[in-house]
Amino acid sequence: MSSSLILRSTLPKALIKRSLFHSSTQIRQATSDRFAYVAGGPIYRGTVNDPTTFPPSSKTHGSYHWAFERLLSAALVPMTATAFATSGTNYPLLDGILGLSLIIHSHIGFDSSVVDYLHPRKFPVFGPTVKWTLRAATVGTMVGVYQFNTNDIGLTELIAKVWTA
Amino acid sequence: MLSTRALGLAPSLRQATFSPARTHVLRNVIRSSLTKRFVQTQSLKPEDGTTILNTQRLQRPSSPHFTIYEPQLTWIGSIFNRVTGVALGFLLYGFSLAYLVAPGTFDSTHVIEFVGGLPDAVKYAGKFILALPFTFHSFNGIRHLLWDSGKFLTVKGAYSTGYAVLGATAISTVILMLQ
Amino acid sequence: MSVLNQAARRLAKASIIDVRSFATSVRRLQAEPLQKPVLNKEFKIYRWASFGSPCRPTFENPDEPAKKPNLQSYTIDLNQTGPMVLDALIKIKNEIDPTLTFRRSCREGICGSCAMNINGQNTLACLCRIDRDASKDSKIYPLPHMYIVKDLVPDLTQFYKQYKSIQPYLQNDNPPEKGEFLQSQEDRRKLDGLYECILCACCSTSCPSYWWNQDEYLGPATLMQAYRWIADSRDGNSAKRKEYLQNELSMYRCHTIFNCSRTCPKGLNPAAAIAKIKLDLAAD
Repeated sequence: MSSSLILRSTLPKALIKRSLFHSSTQIRQATSDRFAYVAGGPIYRGTVNDPTTFPPSSKTHGSYHWAFERLLSAALVPMTATAFATSGTNYPLLDGILGLSLIIHSHIGFDSSVVDYLHPRKFPVFGPTVKWTLRAATVGTMVGVYQFNTNDIGLTELIAKVWTA
Repeated sequence: MLSTRALGLAPSLRQATFSPARTHVLRNVIRSSLTKRFVQTQSLKPEDGTTILNTQRLQRPSSPHFTIYEPQLTWIGSIFNRVTGVALGFLLYGFSLAYLVAPGTFDSTHVIEFVGGLPDAVKYAGKFILALPFTFHSFNGIRHLLWDSGKFLTVKGAYSTGYAVLGATAISTVILMLQ
Repeated sequence: MSVLNQAARRLAKASIIDVRSFATSVRRLQAEPLQKPVLNKEFKIYRWASFGSPCRPTFENPDEPAKKPNLQSYTIDLNQTGPMVLDALIKIKNEIDPTLTFRRSCREGICGSCAMNINGQNTLACLCRIDRDASKDSKIYPLPHMYIVKDLVPDLTQFYKQYKSIQPYLQNDNPPEKGEFLQSQEDRRKLDGLYECILCACCSTSCPSYWWNQDEYLGPATLMQAYRWIADSRDGNSAKRKEYLQNELSMYRCHTIFNCSRTCPKGLNPAAAIAKIKLDLAAD
């Protein structure tokens, strides 16, 4: 009885000694790698009492971007309605502006998705890759639409004809 | 305890424990084994608290989100707006880039010829697949513009405009399909 | 044995006489205490603890690799339970499983502690009535897309850090020479629907944008408080407050999804507040 009691009393000591050794090595290792800040991860910057910080202010990325996007979207409403009513071949300028506006609108939409789901702070390689691919694709699309509108029948006319084909 | 009481031995045992000479050894044994504290303290530096907390933080799971959240017109509509927008954008980008790369195969005459040769069922299905995202994204875009100008900014407004968008989408999709 | 029986009978007689002296009618005397029928309802509750099994936590080894979260089922009699989901949770903790962990305090919707996802919607457990339909189970999860400390307790550190970042206090370099800041009734009315927020985090954690970008996007609760100080006529720092939000992440991740206003247990409207900030910033 007493021997088992003694054993029980010494066992935790040994365990504690071991865990102490472990934790001290852990503390030494854990300074940078394990507890590094990862965006969206469970480790936060600073202590619990530090406020979060803001990215640098930029109206281009803030209110100007927002207002431009709304104005463009609002402009698309009458443009689309007119495109339904008239033929693109009669008004090539309207066709051109509509095509350009649609591309910019799409680009902003795509870009917004990239910021939402593939932001570079979370995807340091894939994020920028997608962003630059999108930019290249947008430029390519602009050239393509310009070619199509000048050399072919134009977007609105194409949609109208395909629809009734 | 019960057994000592039952045998009537308790008083004599009590006496034995109180007599100093005999209990000296016994008490030492008790002190060294029974009263041994199993929990020991260890001193930590203030920064070790952060380490312990961060170790626990790294184990924490993230709670489930869109899989358990009730499907509501609010966020399902918003996701649908984005999905339709991205799909229409892909179509625009895809066609324009295709025309840029191969103007011979993707010019209007070829495209119209190709679509004209499709069976009617495919044509209607295709019109539906194109008309639904276009009309929804357009009407929902107008809804967003109304919100951004400060109108219908209540839960009630969000729902009534949401249902209006769904209705307008359904009607205009049918109309476009019959064109 | 027979002696005991006799004694019991005597006691019973005595009590009948006692009761009779208080009863007003024979019918009331004969009335049985109302027995409510048993109405068993199943509650499925998200469980997770960092050490050992959530049912029997072993505190010896907090570094043990944690088990995966799971849904644990509890069945309780609704007729022996209070009307709210918080009552059910407290009953389960008291009577079935004391290891079930959740935050609660005021039980009347003013402290915001018991915010959780009940049947797919974020709300306060103390303000959410139990659905009496016993054929359907009730699912209770912690607030969505949050790191879980234990069971229904999310880590709100980031949420509070973000709230702190908008400097939620009056700032004015030109205090009135005498007395306190005065405000017209009209200006004061602008704060209605903003100041009532109890920071329960229901809205922020219902927002898909906050799910994906909560490390940078402030979320509806914090943004509504940001507007609460921008809109305050007594505050002199609104230019600075607006400038902080001029980037693509802090506020403009809001896509007017409206989950926030839809879910707010206090009936507030963060979506409208954010829309007003956006209009304010665009007008600058």
